[in-house]
Amino acid sequence: MTKNKRCLSFYARIYRKILIQDLKSKMSYRADFIISTFGMVLTNIAGFMTFYILFRNFPSINGWDYYHMLFLYGFSLTALTPVQCLFDNNWNLRSMVYSGDFIKYCFRPINVFFYFISEVFDAKGLGQLAFGIGTLVYSWNRIGLPVTPLIILKLVACILTGSLFMIAIMNFAAATCFWIQGSGYVMVIMFRFKDYAKYPASIFSGIFKAVFTFVIPIAFVAYYPSLVILQPENIPLLSLLSPLLGILFFYLSYRFWMLGVRKYDFTGS
Amino acid sequence: MTIRRYLALTRAGIMESLQFRLGTFVTLLGNLLYIILVYFLWKAIYASAGTESVNGMTFNDTMIYLILATALFNFLEMFVVWDMSRSIQSGKIILDLLKPMGFRGYTFWSYSGSHVIMFFLTFLPTSVVVFIITKGAIPLGLNIIWFVISTVLALIVNFNIEMLVATLCLYTESTWGINIVKETIVLLLSGASIPLAFFPETLSKAVSFMPFRAVYDIPLNILLQKNGTECMSGLLPYLGFQALWAVGLTVLSMVFWNISVRKITVNGG
Repeated sequence: MTKNKRCLSFYARIYRKILIQDLKSKMSYRADFIISTFGMVLTNIAGFMTFYILFRNFPSINGWDYYHMLFLYGFSLTALTPVQCLFDNNWNLRSMVYSGDFIKYCFRPINVFFYFISEVFDAKGLGQLAFGIGTLVYSWNRIGLPVTPLIILKLVACILTGSLFMIAIMNFAAATCFWIQGSGYVMVIMFRFKDYAKYPASIFSGIFKAVFTFVIPIAFVAYYPSLVILQPENIPLLSLLSPLLGILFFYLSYRFWMLGVRKYDFTGS
Repeated sequence: MTIRRYLALTRAGIMESLQFRLGTFVTLLGNLLYIILVYFLWKAIYASAGTESVNGMTFNDTMIYLILATALFNFLEMFVVWDMSRSIQSGKIILDLLKPMGFRGYTFWSYSGSHVIMFFLTFLPTSVVVFIITKGAIPLGLNIIWFVISTVLALIVNFNIEMLVATLCLYTESTWGINIVKETIVLLLSGASIPLAFFPETLSKAVSFMPFRAVYDIPLNILLQKNGTECMSGLLPYLGFQALWAVGLTVLSMVFWNISVRKITVNGG
């Protein structure tokens, strides 16, 4: 995708132009924007309440105490922001493929995936980002983790790694619509799975540990990357490998998505 | 004569849901994986608690409750809000309003077909599996009949909540935001994500007056014969509570709809 530098700056310029158009059209529905942002904040509050009620009844989960769990929670919220803000158009893929409007993306001399995804920037995800960062900072303080430039850099890298996995999951889920009719549920269910990214993956055992690590990699959204920060003295191998695996998963989901596009071309509707 | 008109809609709904067989299969698979996630989480939670029962709920009680709540959620799920916003945007709503049948009745009965299918595909098999695995945690007796009545009332309460929210969308032109607010509130306060028994006292007292528990919590309690529903004197207040909300919300949503329908603005169509 990034053959040379000129190519990259070319895409960056296009992205900015499309983004501005999208924000302009969003601004014309101001009430919608306000209500959606409120809805987003409310979901986060409700998610936190679920978490709080759980910990009122049970002091720890699998050896993880309240503040460590809170760290994982903030980490997962932050890692889930990019998929919400930048890749939200995946939700429209199904209806566009179904109605045939999708064909317009195939007629542009730029990457189809890039053009489709860049068309929507979902600003309400920023509320979630603020909530996630707030939770991270609070739990960071309570656990007493050091604050150095290096560790902050590590944290950002780990969060981006987690994001890659979630983006990949949603790309796969969205692209199923090229093959399955009525595939809306696939995305809905995958999106519900993300709520379990905030729990330590050590709760899984047996075959399902493998399923939720490698098939539907929700264990990589928060658990494995966050161990780099939380347990610097013994980082598991999977945590160290997670950035590479994240890039691999993202690449595979991209290929799968593009495979669907090619299949769509052939139907010629 | 009228009942035959309604049943025709039910039949059409059944046939429509059977069209997307692969989608339905994927849904079932996804739900199964979701239940496995729930299982691992609560297993870890109870293992960490160290005691057999928390707030009067053992691990088995919690699992049975949550599994049946998930099944009931799939069974009762409606997309009135989405459908309404789509038909306002496309202008199709005019055709629905011109039908020789009230709009609310038409919507309700159009959904009845998918309810029938979802009952046989999700709720019934789930209950049978739970019954076999737990060797009779679901008592078989008069409670089944009361459960059916209670579920019908839950269906009416749920439909009217949906309808109230959908009507609100006529004013705000925001669907995603309003829908997410509704979904979050209903899921949290109905006990579908955490059993109401775990709620802090003040919150659970407040929740006990709200209509949301009439959707999942009460039917499940009746089915499992919990909280005094095994005798008539314990059962009747529950059913009365549901009936009261069913009637109240029906009147409210009917009045609200009749006032709002005059305000519909459709651009083209």
